[in-house]
Amino acid sequence: MQQKKAEEKEKKPKFFINDHADILTEILKRLDGPSLGVAACVCRLWCAIARNDSLWEHLCFRHVASPPPSSVRPVVLALGGYKRLYMVCVRPVLTRLGHSDLVRRRVWTRDEVQLSLSLFCVDYYERRLGGASASSLMFLCKPVNV
Amino acid sequence: MNNKRSHQESAGGAGYGGIGKGHECSSTSSGKAKMWDEEQDAGGGGMDELLEVLGYKVKSSEMADVAEKLEQLEMAMGTTLHLPGDTVHFNPSDLSGWVQSMLTELNNPAANLDILDHPVLQSHRVDDPLLAPAESSSVSTVGFSNSRQQQIETTQSSRVYNDDSEYDLRAIPGSAAYPQTQEKESNRKRLKTSSGSSNSLPPPTLLPSSQPIGTVAEPTRPVILVDSQETGVRLVHTLLACAEAVQQDNLKLADALVKHVHVLAASQAGAMGKVAGYFAEALARRIYRIYPQDSLSVSYSDMLQRYFYETCPYLKFAHFTANQAILEAFATASRVHVIDFGLKEGMQWPALIQALALRPGGPPAFRLTGIGPPQPDNTDALQQVGWKLAQLADAIGVEFHFRGFVANSLADIEPSMLDLGPADTEAVAVNSVFELHRLLARPGAIDKVLSSIKAMRPKIVTLVEQEANHNGPVFLDRFTEALHYYSSLFDSMEGSGLVPPTDDQLMSEMYLGRQICNVVASEGADRVERHETLTQWRARMGSASFEPVHLGSNAFKQASMLLALFAGGDGYRVEENNGCLMLGWHTRRLIATSAWQPATESH
Repeated sequence: MQQKKAEEKEKKPKFFINDHADILTEILKRLDGPSLGVAACVCRLWCAIARNDSLWEHLCFRHVASPPPSSVRPVVLALGGYKRLYMVCVRPVLTRLGHSDLVRRRVWTRDEVQLSLSLFCVDYYERRLGGASASSLMFLCKPVNV
Repeated sequence: MNNKRSHQESAGGAGYGGIGKGHECSSTSSGKAKMWDEEQDAGGGGMDELLEVLGYKVKSSEMADVAEKLEQLEMAMGTTLHLPGDTVHFNPSDLSGWVQSMLTELNNPAANLDILDHPVLQSHRVDDPLLAPAESSSVSTVGFSNSRQQQIETTQSSRVYNDDSEYDLRAIPGSAAYPQTQEKESNRKRLKTSSGSSNSLPPPTLLPSSQPIGTVAEPTRPVILVDSQETGVRLVHTLLACAEAVQQDNLKLADALVKHVHVLAASQAGAMGKVAGYFAEALARRIYRIYPQDSLSVSYSDMLQRYFYETCPYLKFAHFTANQAILEAFATASRVHVIDFGLKEGMQWPALIQALALRPGGPPAFRLTGIGPPQPDNTDALQQVGWKLAQLADAIGVEFHFRGFVANSLADIEPSMLDLGPADTEAVAVNSVFELHRLLARPGAIDKVLSSIKAMRPKIVTLVEQEANHNGPVFLDRFTEALHYYSSLFDSMEGSGLVPPTDDQLMSEMYLGRQICNVVASEGADRVERHETLTQWRARMGSASFEPVHLGSNAFKQASMLLALFAGGDGYRVEENNGCLMLGWHTRRLIATSAWQPATESH
């Protein structure tokens, strides 16, 4: 009896996703923003992986028609990283423009990327300025009058 | 029959324009006057036939009076929340008597209604030129766009000035004074001044003479009112009447009117009430000569502008479009130099630095010269800003140099101060966002600055200005234009959908309120908010030998996208106008971005 169980155990390959961080990363790369946020709450390992900025970079530019030039990455990293870029600029811009009647496509244009980056830069600067309030991008969070 | 009507108000209630005689207005004015004459001949006792058909009995001679009372009644009913229900009103077909009975009822309960009932509602009196001039004891000019007004003279206009009543609000046009159709104007003209026949007249109501005969005080362009309700229109009219009184130096009347505006504005919700409040305050300052201290605090106004930057897209639009033009002009340069005429907090430059960093081919060396006013506490605000920008540039890998210049006026800056190298070593851009118009306050300043700009040999000059003419010679014109302009601005800010308004919104409104105060209350060198339209700036730049540089489609796209992101984005409009971009709210254009370069010598 015990022999049978041991055999069965040997036959079934044990696959535990947490043992394979690279596969996990590949899977998480394909999630959308909210799902990625949820995934980060699962366990410590997932949280650490989800914090990986390259995941968010993938998320930010997934919809871009052509991949952004290599000079973008250092700039974005200097200004706060892709996760912040996504949270502060990309997500609101996508949702806002997605709802507008003019834009119904899922693919970004370079102009939209450029605009997001500019706004991101302004956000960075404003945070450094301090003073009144660092809410230059608050307008992105306000509801749109339909 | 009409015993109750004891006092014959000597004003024409033009509000009845729709009753009966309206359809006759399409004929020429002389034709109308003739018809009027015929009715005169028919005798004062004759009933108005048209109304009689409807079942109302009104004497033709009393038409004006009845109309005015109807207007009063409407006003009174509008302001009281309840109508007394005890009294029995007899004979409503006797319009005059019925209205009078309603009015006496409404007048009695609330004493403060008197203010609104009595003199306010008396409309213009019109002199019918066909009556012998001796008959009418008072005349006034009415309306603005009917050329017949020119024949009317103002007599005995000094009487109204002697009235010591604080509530002499007779100058306020009644609700009939909508500058809408020619029809109504002509109607007013036909009203008889019944003063000739009546003996027991109160001092005739007089209007101060309106604008210099011949000039059209009321804008001939369509009047776009923000609030179409009754009180909103009344508010606008009261403001305009007050401004007119100020224009004519009738300060007592203006004072009474401005107080009335405050009352009306307090009850008006929304953008219109706020705008009216600011304009009323500005008018009060002008009347009492309490001019605001312009140099109160530079950092305060910078802070206000920061709120304005955050809550609405105007400054962002300005920055993004100007940056795009500069970026395109700097496409191939390896060293670039931007001269900013109004650095403030430098909010424009992070985006440009970032765009330069991502430029294909790598970033150029970026030099920024910022000009700003002296700070009252002698802190070097410019250097602080420069330092922060340097940190940003360092973080993203752009070579950056900064120099700040403190100057009271742009005219004090000499090109030689700026350390400009020879033309081929660096590309120069001059940037002015809402700065150049201030120079128009001092004669000669703008020309000096424009020639200084040329001496800097810029590759491009970006100019962003308010799209409005707030620099006309006539105060009333400026006032009217400003009222419409800031109404649109406030209206656009109202669309953010936040109730109650946040601090940000309030601060932004205060930012605009200071501009309003300057446009209305200041004069001479203090009045620095001398906005001019794009057309006027084009002429100015052209005659200073600048030729336009067209803003490309990239700028247009960026601007459109930016606006689509804003809450209430439906109302904003970007339009292209001969290579310049304009941002507007619905149909009203508000700011304009244009780009220039020194004219190339091609002779």
